[in-house]
Amino acid sequence: MSELNLVLPIAVPIIAGILVLPFRAARGTVHAIITFAVAAFTLALSLALFGSEAALSVPWAPFGLDFSLRLYSFSAFILVAAAGFGTLISLYAAAFMRGKEKQNQFYGYFLLTMGLVNGAVLSDNLLLMLFFWEGLLVPLYGMIAIGSEKSYRTATKALIIVGASDLCMMLGIAMVYSITGTLTISKVSVATGSALGSAAFILMAIGAFSKAGSIPFHSWIPDAARAAALPFMAILPASLEKLLGIYFLSRICLDLFALTPDSWLSVLLMALGCVTIIIAVLMALIQKEYKRLLSYHAISQVGYMVLGIGTAVPIGIMGGIFHMINHAIYKSCLFLTGGAVEHRAGTTQLEKLGGLRAAMPVTCICFLVAAASISGVPPFNGFFSKEMVYAGALERGPVFYIFAVIGSFFTAASFLKLGHAVYFDRKGDGMERVREASPAMLIPMVALALLCVVFGVWNAWPLDTLIAPSIAASGVTPGETHGGASVFLVVMTCVALGGAILNHLSGYHITRRGFTAVDHIHETPGLSWAYERAENRYNDIYDLGKRALVFCARLLMKVDRAVDWVFERLAVAAAYATTARLRALQTGNYSLYIVLCLAGAAAVVAYLVQ
Amino acid sequence: MDNECLLACAVGVPVAGAFLMPLVGRASKTVRNLLSLILITVPLGASIALIPTVLAGKTVYISAAMPLGFNISLAADGLAVFMAIVSSFISAVIALYSFDYIDHYENQDEYYLMIVLFLGSMMGICYSANLIPLYIFWELTALSSWRLIGFFREEHFVKRADKAFLTTVFGALLMLLGFIMIGQQAGSFELAVIRDKLAAEPVSAVAAGLVIAGILAKSATLPFHTWLPDAGVAPSPVTALLHAAVLVKIGVYAYARIFVATIAAGAFWDQAIPAIALASTLVSAGAALVETDIKRIIAYSTVSQIGFIFLGLSSGTELGVTGALLFILMHGIAKAGLFLSAGIIEQKTHVRDITKLGGLVKTMPVTAVSFLLCAFSVMGIPPFGGFFSKYMVITGALSGGRTALAIAFAACGFLTIVYLFRLFNAVFLKEAPSQEILVKEGSHTMVFSIAMLAVLSVAGGLLVSYPAEFGLEAVKQIMGLVK
Repeated sequence: MSELNLVLPIAVPIIAGILVLPFRAARGTVHAIITFAVAAFTLALSLALFGSEAALSVPWAPFGLDFSLRLYSFSAFILVAAAGFGTLISLYAAAFMRGKEKQNQFYGYFLLTMGLVNGAVLSDNLLLMLFFWEGLLVPLYGMIAIGSEKSYRTATKALIIVGASDLCMMLGIAMVYSITGTLTISKVSVATGSALGSAAFILMAIGAFSKAGSIPFHSWIPDAARAAALPFMAILPASLEKLLGIYFLSRICLDLFALTPDSWLSVLLMALGCVTIIIAVLMALIQKEYKRLLSYHAISQVGYMVLGIGTAVPIGIMGGIFHMINHAIYKSCLFLTGGAVEHRAGTTQLEKLGGLRAAMPVTCICFLVAAASISGVPPFNGFFSKEMVYAGALERGPVFYIFAVIGSFFTAASFLKLGHAVYFDRKGDGMERVREASPAMLIPMVALALLCVVFGVWNAWPLDTLIAPSIAASGVTPGETHGGASVFLVVMTCVALGGAILNHLSGYHITRRGFTAVDHIHETPGLSWAYERAENRYNDIYDLGKRALVFCARLLMKVDRAVDWVFERLAVAAAYATTARLRALQTGNYSLYIVLCLAGAAAVVAYLVQ
Repeated sequence: MDNECLLACAVGVPVAGAFLMPLVGRASKTVRNLLSLILITVPLGASIALIPTVLAGKTVYISAAMPLGFNISLAADGLAVFMAIVSSFISAVIALYSFDYIDHYENQDEYYLMIVLFLGSMMGICYSANLIPLYIFWELTALSSWRLIGFFREEHFVKRADKAFLTTVFGALLMLLGFIMIGQQAGSFELAVIRDKLAAEPVSAVAAGLVIAGILAKSATLPFHTWLPDAGVAPSPVTALLHAAVLVKIGVYAYARIFVATIAAGAFWDQAIPAIALASTLVSAGAALVETDIKRIIAYSTVSQIGFIFLGLSSGTELGVTGALLFILMHGIAKAGLFLSAGIIEQKTHVRDITKLGGLVKTMPVTAVSFLLCAFSVMGIPPFGGFFSKYMVITGALSGGRTALAIAFAACGFLTIVYLFRLFNAVFLKEAPSQEILVKEGSHTMVFSIAMLAVLSVAGGLLVSYPAEFGLEAVKQIMGLVK
């Protein structure tokens, strides 16, 4: 296969995106068809490329910036996955976006995103990767900003948070370049022993975390769930960004730096993973809005992936990557069900919804499958990847494992609440006329739900064909892993799930409504205080940063004004004062003038003689 | 035409031709406008024609002997040609824009005279191979920018023009003292002679400091920066020309010419310059976050970005210096676009306070998109040109062993994103405070100019290899000489 084919998955969507962007459309059918066709073409192309290895390298600019792409097991896997999600979600978007405003922009940014993601995945040059990676900021900003009149605030928030972390990554890349003198990913190998090496690792990992949506770079995601159109949530925070972030995190840990279990950086990653799991899932638990609840889970689940990769043991890494793909499947499926409900019921407030299982049976079943997957119920895909992450975490220390299981408990509890409130429970007002979603919306959901089952029941297939070769290319031997969860782990998982069910039943027993079934946790002393602070955004890195920044900026402005005062006032006053003194010498007294002249002449003579 | 002639034309034609403006203006405005554009494109064309020669590693040199060593000598090497092309090209776009913008006001003849004279003296600075003509052209730019800033005759505006003039001329006088000390030490004002003579014995820190003071005053760097935001009272094409594209780059160019290509600044200034640059970048970024006047925000942003250029130039690495040259190009294009967009907004709404603006994206879509694209470039977001220049400058500093500085400058890069988005949101996206503010697009020529700059910002990123390769050649030429 020709090397130039590597350029197609990048160039075709980007060019199509740029072509689509300027043309407004009332219904957007043409835009939707073009987008779907391009996505399907990309999928076909990446499937054709799958299994082969290719590399392309063209010098672009001096100082190591080559336009070099590399297709190998891992990048081919991510390429297929990204194109697959792109295809399904573009089909869904065709139904969801019909008749909405600014469709040209939506599809344009959608296509740009696909192309840029493919570029970032295929790049074998760090700066080229950053070029695509950071370039994603533009469609990200656009996609959120077109949501509604006020969405630009959230768009700016997203851009600033992600932009800051991209800058960290740029610094990390700059450090790698100054250490190794090369930007070619397949040639870079940095020891994490030195201070600069560790700093480079952390900075690049920050970029990856932020893309994956890990705490504390997450806070724009729940806001975007409100502000942006739903297909945006399904394509970016739920799937493509996770794929990209975790893909790059694995590349950093496995290839660029070769993270070992005895490194403190590994512990740091695991700790961050655990914190992300717990905090985000606790936030998800109390949400009363469909999409916002899901968006917190999109953050929480990243914790498992980071934990898995951070263990630096083969089973944990495999589990982390497997969880990444599984998460992208079930989470985009969940977001799509949320969109279908929003489309038909006109609201996503849990309080107003209820009893939709009869009206929307297929959506309901898809939701149940995906929710079971994310909660880690056997035999769905999420169960197996979580077990692998657990096994890795347990190998590194029981603390990490305990956090991960607690996270599972809350995940299950919050999905029991969500499912109960939306699809069961008593019918909400105005829910009588709700119909099942259109086929264009159902097909992607059903396909994703089926994948949840396939990747669960036949988990050996994705593990052997997709994930093991990916990490084998980085020199990690997978070992015996498939479904090899030990009895202890399975029992513990069942205990956690059972606990969640009991918790839900007891909560439901108190309030008799599905959406309030976890209020007893919400109102636990201590927790309720923390919740109140979180809900009021006391902990939002963006708002905290904004306050600090405004303070610093005022201070700097004072410095600026002080400098200006020197020129504007002091210099002028000094000039006037000096000239006033000099003017005082002009008395009109000739004898004084003659004395001054003679003194001056004497000074000149004295200088010349010397 | 041979190379020597091209070089003489590049400087002589605009400087001499500028004085035709008032005469031609009596006869016809259209002819005068077109002639001004032609006079600006002559040095552009001449400089482009010099590219093959300088890429071959040759230097074109002409000199007119004068008494006391005040030779008017010009030399074209990679650095000079790069800078000349960048500044004359951006000036040409700005001149095109000003046809419509300046059409409504008085004193147009003076305006075109000064614009062309300014560009001509800029060319003189680029190509000077002797400190004395360098100083003369330097003061000529000060003179013409003084008249340009004071284009509107209100007392308050004229005072601001005086402030700019006094600050830069004060710096220039200090610089002249420094030049004299350097000339005394080397026995000549010719740059080539100075380079050979002073290779072994570095100049004193005082002499270098005096020259640097002049450079900082011209490039509006802390502590001499406050004239720049104040000069925002000038017509927008002028602010674009002075603040963004050309005038403030004179200082950084002189730094590159004197302290990178000719002599070493000495250990003290090698440490002090990046520190001053950082302070300047940080303070002005903070000011840009607080200000509410569109043009002052953009002007502070310029002060802030100049610091990045100094960081690259003082890094002592090929990567950093090349990055700085690229930065001059990319920032010039994008920042000119921002100022010219601000000009359209100002002219149409008669409002410059961002708290009183809003919602303009609906009525001025092309301006809004062009502004955003240029802003992306200034922020350094790919695929825009600014991405590469910022990366190269910071990586250059890192490779030069200045880790802490590189990190601090990356943080300043973050501030750039914040204040530019604050500006964009406030002007274009925020809810409009009143309906009168929602005015139509500017004239076709004006909108075309900014759209062109926006497209160039994208092209600068995608086709970065050309300016980067050229910049690297220029840097290799000059850095090979000083060790």
